[in-house]
Amino acid sequence: MSELTQLLHAIEAGDPKASDQLLPLVYEELRKLAVTRMANEKPGQTLQPTALVHEAWLKIAGDGQEQFANRAHFFKAASGAMRQILIDIARRKQRLKHGANLIGDELHESRIAMSAPSEELLAVNDALVLLKLEEPLAAEIVQMRYFVGMTIQEIAAALDLAPRTVDRHWAFARAWLKRTIRTSLSGMP
Amino acid sequence: MTEREIFFEALDISTSEVREAYLRNTCGQNVTLRRKVDELLKEHFSNDSLLAAPAVEREPTIVLESPAEEGPAQMLGRYKLLEKIGEGGFGEVWMADQREPVKRRVALKIIKLGMDSRQMVARFEAERQALAMMEHPNIAKIFDAAVTEAGRPYFVMELVRGIKITAFCDQNQLPTPDRLRLFILVCNAIQHAHQKGIIHRDIKPSNILVTLHDGVPVPKVIDFGIAKATQQELTDKTVFTQFQQFIGTPAYISPEQAEMSGLDIDTRADIYSLGALLYELLVGQTPFDAKEMMKGGIDSLRQIIREKEPLRPSTKLNTLPGGARVTAGIDRQTDVSKLVHQLQGDLDWIVMKCLEKDRTRRYDTANGLAADIQRHLVNEPVIARPPSAAYKFQKAWQRNRLVFSAGAVVVLALIAGMGVSTWQAIRATEASASARKANAAEKEQRLAAQAEQQRADAQAKKASESQEQSRRLLYAAEMNLAQQSLKLNNLGRARRLLDQHKPQPGEEDLRGWEWRYLWQLTRSSALVTLTNRPTWGTSVSFSPDGAHLAVGWLDGRVDLWDVPGRRWVRALTDREYDKHHGRVAFSSIRNLLAATSEPKVLLLTRNSIMCHPPSFDHVAESAQTNSQTFGPGIPVAFAAQIAAKAGRHLIGLLKGQLGMVFFFF
Repeated sequence: MSELTQLLHAIEAGDPKASDQLLPLVYEELRKLAVTRMANEKPGQTLQPTALVHEAWLKIAGDGQEQFANRAHFFKAASGAMRQILIDIARRKQRLKHGANLIGDELHESRIAMSAPSEELLAVNDALVLLKLEEPLAAEIVQMRYFVGMTIQEIAAALDLAPRTVDRHWAFARAWLKRTIRTSLSGMP
Repeated sequence: MTEREIFFEALDISTSEVREAYLRNTCGQNVTLRRKVDELLKEHFSNDSLLAAPAVEREPTIVLESPAEEGPAQMLGRYKLLEKIGEGGFGEVWMADQREPVKRRVALKIIKLGMDSRQMVARFEAERQALAMMEHPNIAKIFDAAVTEAGRPYFVMELVRGIKITAFCDQNQLPTPDRLRLFILVCNAIQHAHQKGIIHRDIKPSNILVTLHDGVPVPKVIDFGIAKATQQELTDKTVFTQFQQFIGTPAYISPEQAEMSGLDIDTRADIYSLGALLYELLVGQTPFDAKEMMKGGIDSLRQIIREKEPLRPSTKLNTLPGGARVTAGIDRQTDVSKLVHQLQGDLDWIVMKCLEKDRTRRYDTANGLAADIQRHLVNEPVIARPPSAAYKFQKAWQRNRLVFSAGAVVVLALIAGMGVSTWQAIRATEASASARKANAAEKEQRLAAQAEQQRADAQAKKASESQEQSRRLLYAAEMNLAQQSLKLNNLGRARRLLDQHKPQPGEEDLRGWEWRYLWQLTRSSALVTLTNRPTWGTSVSFSPDGAHLAVGWLDGRVDLWDVPGRRWVRALTDREYDKHHGRVAFSSIRNLLAATSEPKVLLLTRNSIMCHPPSFDHVAESAQTNSQTFGPGIPVAFAAQIAAKAGRHLIGLLKGQLGMVFFFF
């Protein structure tokens, strides 16, 4: 955990390399956390991504040393990591449908509470790559809202923005993604 | 500006017209940007599930439902709950006992949690004074509004033990006239509220309960003031849920309410809902099927309410499936063919007048509606008429008949009339002169002998009486002239003459019924006056798709109008041409517009239908002096043309002081 804390500090201090290292680290952290949590849960219980991310943050910021300055970096990285986890699961599901077999992954789909079909997740993910190029903030908000399930208020607090700003960016991003997905479905350029 | 910035701005605009104007301004000629923003907005307002909720589940961190549901014997403020008497999309209705300051039994409407309860109560408080002023035997009173401990707002109202009006009528198999009489009582109640400045906004059968008082059915309108209080700001993204929750079944809401564009809702929204209610009382079905309406999401719902013409009640009855037809007859103690006959004509018209999409064409007041039904009941002719564009146009035309179309008798009558009015005008002028003389004489006398003060006063009084007299004469003469002007179709002059006789402060109002009669005649049934130019229009033409209207003017100018937007697009002839009239004609097949502004003939084509604002490109331009070859024309001096588009648009050019273009639905 201290490595993570150090990275957050490095980002704060303006180290450009630190950002790149943060995401894989948070990804690992979240997976580990999920696996530990699941070992303690009764069978049939599912994990809420929102809860996972919050728990990870509490672990980092728990001792009160970490002030809010780092929060935005963490949540951005964590939501990116969570998106990656969900996309991994969705891809695996797709492969399963096509006959591949899946053995022994500790974090398989039945244990993460996903409510959207994997096709939708993958389509959104593809469109999100394009959105990130044009409107990075809107794309960040989509990760937090759609892939982590955070509320507008929670996102606003995490990114230190006005809820109205988050709300509007989310509305825009949603319309943008829907437009892109629809266009790609209808086969138009 | 980026797509996102434009999108944000557009979201802040609540009315679709203003938004349209904003987008037009901002995107300008950038068609691609405009299309992309349009698509974004369309996606934003569309109601589909994609990305509607997070892809992941989460445990609710906030408790949305109050843990303790309201139950019998529970106290809510001063009210003790007794028994749940109703449940709906909005929440629940309880019978309750009030202990203080008066002991009485009341109804409590407890709204579901999840609304902005404080604001709701605040909105209610804002209207409370007006609500308190309502005092009508057919209106259930609202006493109070407050919030439960769990944060659920509730309304306290008079307890009405009745059943909804449609059920009452069917259960008692009321024949049509009895239904109409009951409905008139409802109209009277709504009229009372309207006079107190209260709009109901949610008139539907379940809000009109009928009870029997000594065997006489008495309708009671409930829930006044609640719709307004519970309606949130509609720019919210939660429109759809709110819509279902609070506007309830969409079968009764007016197009302007469905639009939710922030357009002011006035009493005529209630008239629409009354019409839908009357429809159901007469036929047993609502004008549009509620389930059908909700199927396609909110956009298609809006579209139906805004655009689809309901079937006339009698037609609807004929299209009902067999079983429903028989039931409709039995419920009204008659058979279907007789029922159809009862509805044809008056009742069809009355209902359809209420259900007009354009609120200016509905009854102005609930009283007006009630009076028309009363007329029908006593076999007097009703005011409502078939609301066809042709009919409306014919009426307007009759009022503004042109001289050349009138017969010789009319011409003679006119000349005679002119003579009379000229004579009266002369007399009036003379009277004025003599009044001035009297004044002068009075002055002289005052100078001559101050002792004769008293006599001078008397004289002065006489003089002012004399002035009054001359005003009367002038009034009579000018009313006559106003009438002549109307006959000559000179609306502008007639209006001016009438306006001159609106009394100045301190002056006696001389206007009698004739003034009001003439004033009435100067009101046009035109829906919109597109423009007022100090010249005559000579030619009009609609584009084949009805989206554009070209107008040629006597001074050579040719204007292009956006019909749905009622908006001037541009002048097609931007140069100063000789004072030769412009003529226009759209090709009936393609988007090709020909315009003459002598000596030129222009041929223009609309380059893209998607393009907005439309741009017209010059295809050809030729110096051609012979405009006679160009389409049919009529003498300009009596320019009066109509152009009709299959559908609902009619346009007329009326000759007058000013060139006027009237636009009809």
